[in-house]
Amino acid sequence: MTAMIEARSLVRTFGSTRAVDDLDLQVESGEIFGLLGPNGAGKTTTIRILATLLAPSGGTARVCGFDVMTHPQEIRRRIGYVMQKISPTRNLLTGRQCIEMEASLYHVPRREVRARAEELLGLVGLLPHADRLFSQYSGGMQKRLDLACGLLHRPQLLILDEPSLGLDVQSRHKVWDYIHDLRRQGVTILLATNYLDEADRLCDRLTIIDRGRVVVTGTPSDLKRAVGADVIQVTTAEPAPLAAAIAGQPWLQRHAVSEAGELHAHVTDAAAALPALMGIAAASSIPLETVTYTRPTLDDVFLLHTGRELREEEVTA
Amino acid sequence: MTEQAIARETPATRGSTTAAISDWAQEVTALAKRWFIELGRERLNLVFSVAQPAIWLIFFGSGIGRAVDRQVIGTSDYTGFTLPGIVAFTVVGGGVAAAMPLMWDKEGGYLDKLMSMPISRSSIIVSRFVYQFVLASFQVAALVVVALLAGVSFELGPLAVVIILATAGLLSLAVTASFSALAYWVPGHGTFFAITGFITLPLVFMSNAFVPVEALPRWMEIVARLNPLTYAIEAMRLPIIKGWDGDILVALGVLGAFSLACLAVGASQFNRQTADRVQ
Repeated sequence: MTAMIEARSLVRTFGSTRAVDDLDLQVESGEIFGLLGPNGAGKTTTIRILATLLAPSGGTARVCGFDVMTHPQEIRRRIGYVMQKISPTRNLLTGRQCIEMEASLYHVPRREVRARAEELLGLVGLLPHADRLFSQYSGGMQKRLDLACGLLHRPQLLILDEPSLGLDVQSRHKVWDYIHDLRRQGVTILLATNYLDEADRLCDRLTIIDRGRVVVTGTPSDLKRAVGADVIQVTTAEPAPLAAAIAGQPWLQRHAVSEAGELHAHVTDAAAALPALMGIAAASSIPLETVTYTRPTLDDVFLLHTGRELREEEVTA
Repeated sequence: MTEQAIARETPATRGSTTAAISDWAQEVTALAKRWFIELGRERLNLVFSVAQPAIWLIFFGSGIGRAVDRQVIGTSDYTGFTLPGIVAFTVVGGGVAAAMPLMWDKEGGYLDKLMSMPISRSSIIVSRFVYQFVLASFQVAALVVVALLAGVSFELGPLAVVIILATAGLLSLAVTASFSALAYWVPGHGTFFAITGFITLPLVFMSNAFVPVEALPRWMEIVARLNPLTYAIEAMRLPIIKGWDGDILVALGVLGAFSLACLAVGASQFNRQTADRVQ
C-alpha cells in the first residue's frame, strides 16, 4: 500500500489570506478519501494544487509519487480531474465530440479513441444521448459526461471537486454509484464536498478542514463515535421497569426517563444495543410502543472540533 | 486500470522525440477539430466572415477609389492597391476572433480542465492559429476572385497569391499570439474588447493600408514605418502592382521577425500571467 497523495505543511496564500494553512494530507492507494468543510475552507485550493493547477506557496505535495512542482506532466498523465464548475463553452459540441476530443488530448491512441469514448459514454449511461449537443444535456448528464472524461486515460487517481453540487437526488445517487464502482476497480478517489451525507456515504476516510487547516482525520464512523453515544428513545407504558431491567448492561453508558415518559438510553453503538434492549424488553414482558435512535452526524463532529456548525454554512452555500 | 495501460500511453516510456511530436500533433488536431466543428454549427459566421472582406474590397475599390489621386498611389488600379490593406485589416480582426474562445474557456473554467491535462502549453494557441489561417485562406480566396472580377491584374500571377497567403499566415500568427496573450492577461472580457477596440482601427489606419506611406503626414509616416502591418502590406502589394522586387523579401523578413517576437513575447507573457499556476 503506497501513498497516492502525500502533502506536507502545504500553504497557499492569496494576498494576505492563507487559503491553505499548513495542511498535511495522506491518501492511500485504493481508498475514497474525502475533504469535507464549509465553503471557503480551502478544499478547492488544495485540490487545485494537487491537480497541478496552482503552485503552493509553501510545503510539498507528491501525487502518484511525483512532486507537483517538478513533475507536473507525469502527474497529469496519471490523474483524472473533474471540476466543480460545468463549463458551458462546449455547448456547440455533441457529448461524443467532447469526449473524443478529450481522449485525443490524453493521447489515447488514435485508433482507440472512438471505442474508448463509447466505452465510457456507456459506463455513465450516456451512449443513447451521445450525439446530442452538450447544451441539450441536463446538469446531471453534463456532470456524468465530465466524470467519464476524467476516466479516459484510465487514471490511478480521480480528483472530484464537489461531484454532486447542484444535482437532483436521482443524479446524485447515480454519481455515487459510479464512484463506488470505480473504487472497486482499484481507482483511488479524492473527493471534496460540503455535503455531510455525501462524505458519510462515500468516504473510507476523510479529513475535515476549516480555514485552510486540518481539523480532524479518520473514518466517518470513528469520527462520529468519538463525538459520543448514540441515543435510543423508547416509548412504553412502563418506562421505569424497563430502565431497571437494562441497568448494568455493558452497552449502556447512562439512561434517563424524560418528562414525557420516554426512556433515553445512551449507548456506545445503537446497532448492537437495539436488539439487546428489545430482547430484554421481550424477556421482561414489557410492551414497547416505539423505538427510535439518533446517531451523531458529521455535523456533530465538526461542532465538536470547531465549536461551529457546518450545516448552517451548507444552507447558505 | 493498470499501471501498464497508463505507461503505454506515456511518451516518456515510448522514449522518443517522435512520440512527443506525435502527441503534440494529436493535441493540436483535436483542438482545431473543436474549432472547425463549432464553425460548422455556425455556418452564417463562416458566410459573413468570408463575404465581409470581399464587400470591403468592392466598397473601397469602386467607391473610395474614384476619389483617389492616382499620382499619389502610383497606380491606376486602386482596387489592386488596397487589396493588401483589406487582407491585413481582415487578419487583424481575425486575431481578435481567434483569442475570444480562449477567453471564454478561461471565464467558463474549461481552461483549467485543459491545463490539468498532459498537453503542451502551446497547443491551444497553435490550434487557434491553424483555424484562423484556414479561415484567412478562404477570405483571401474570396478577395482574389472579387479582385479578378473587378479587373485587377496580378503582376506576379499565381505567385502573387502564394505570397499573399504566406504573408497572411505570418501576420495571423503574430496577431493570434498577441491577442491570445491579451486574453489570458486581462481580468475579464470587458477589458479585452476595450483594448482590442482601441487598438485595431488605429493599427490599420496608421499603416499604408489605404494610402502610401510617403503620402501620409510626417508624424503618421513615422508611426506607419514602425507598424508591422506596413511591412505585411508592402510584401503583398508589390507582387500585385509592381511584380518581383527584392523589397518583398525584406518586408517578409521584417514581418517574420516580428511574428516570432510576438510568439516569444506572447508565450512569456502567458507564463508570467499564469505564474500562479504550475507551468
